Amino acid sequence: MDMCNELAMSTPIGARWAVLAGLCIALATGPSALAQGAAGPAASAPAPAEEPETTWNAMQGEKLQALRATGDAARGEITFEVCQGCHRAKALGRPDGSYPRLAGQHASVLIKQMTDVRAGRRRNDKMLPFIDKHGVGPQDIADIAAYLSRLPVPPTQGQGPGTHLADGEKLYKNACVDCHGAAGEGDATRFYPRVNGQHFKYTLREMIDIRDGVRRNANPTMVEAIKRYTNADLEAVADHMSRLPVTGAR
Amino acid sequence: MPAWPAACAAGVVWLAGPAWAADAKEIAATVCQACHGEGGNSVVPMFPRLAGLQAEYLAKQLNDFLDGKRKNDLMAPSLASISSGDVRGLAAYFAGQKPAKGTAGDPKLGDKGKVLYDDGNVDTGVPACVGCHQPEGVGNERYPRLAGQHAAYTAAQMSAFKAGTRTNDRAKVMRAVAERLTEQEIAALSEYLAGM
Repeated sequence: MDMCNELAMSTPIGARWAVLAGLCIALATGPSALAQGAAGPAASAPAPAEEPETTWNAMQGEKLQALRATGDAARGEITFEVCQGCHRAKALGRPDGSYPRLAGQHASVLIKQMTDVRAGRRRNDKMLPFIDKHGVGPQDIADIAAYLSRLPVPPTQGQGPGTHLADGEKLYKNACVDCHGAAGEGDATRFYPRVNGQHFKYTLREMIDIRDGVRRNANPTMVEAIKRYTNADLEAVADHMSRLPVTGAR
Repeated sequence: MPAWPAACAAGVVWLAGPAWAADAKEIAATVCQACHGEGGNSVVPMFPRLAGLQAEYLAKQLNDFLDGKRKNDLMAPSLASISSGDVRGLAAYFAGQKPAKGTAGDPKLGDKGKVLYDDGNVDTGVPACVGCHQPEGVGNERYPRLAGQHAAYTAAQMSAFKAGTRTNDRAKVMRAVAERLTEQEIAALSEYLAGM
């Protein structure tokens, strides 16, 4: 199944179809666009590592190649064996938040994050040697994403202390719901991650890092939306998210 | 009908098993056994046990030795007696041998190794070995069996990956992992695996 079909299947909301159609057209501009990307100056002289993007989530380079590729989940399961050492079997992550759950995440989000790590747009020294270009290519990334996005999301994620859930719900509605959805289901077509079913401590750490500019590949809209949130606010939000029922996943 | 004698001959060979099986057993006994032990169950800690290792892994290592991608001074003289045509048979022979039960010398150290094997080291980014080498260290067709291997051999290989003197790992994965391991962690893991 190619990425456009996959996005379509995971996005039943009618209002998203315009965005989806635009994305599919952008992704389906044919081999000439791909060939240009492979032979053009962007590919032969890639931006130096650690450079943040000037445009968030620009559709280019190997990210576009991976999004265009048809991911093979069976192949992805084999390629993912190395990743299991940290992300664990069935990609369930660890409740202590040290490694995130990847099971059931949108393929588009996974491809964006993997290629961001490879390009230095999201710095992750622990992960980089295992996802770097000497080991895997865009097709492998598409395969891994296809495998992970189809995995079930059991309700076994780590949760927060449960002490400020009403605050968390309110703060989530104020800043997060427009993009990540009422059920935390995210939006595959817009590369917004599923946040339900994720480990509380991981969600909290990433939100703090995004707010503080430590993690630099987040949508600027999100950085703006949470810039006034204190650590206590973010803890309440993360706690709320960790208790959202998992919907829309296989 | 000139085709018949050839077909009959092929049938006889097929019934007797593949031609390389007998050759492999012969080579194993005359070339490999002195170091790797009878049936690949070496009793000398510095020489690895080969019995029950995956044929895919054994074939890759032998080919890498023959191609110079993996180097070992003690193995070099024996390689002169092996050709690339023998690799498939030798790999199948040793893969088919029953591995002897491992022996652990220090169970307390082994317990520390088990934690690392199953969970890795989150602080230093060491992935859990179980992700690739499977529960109980049995491996699969892509990653070798480790269970029951001599601790001295396992430790020497992990140290070689850490130092970058062994470089025939797939996608540099073992070098990236071993680089993060301390000598104490290597000793603990090797002890745990030896006892499996």
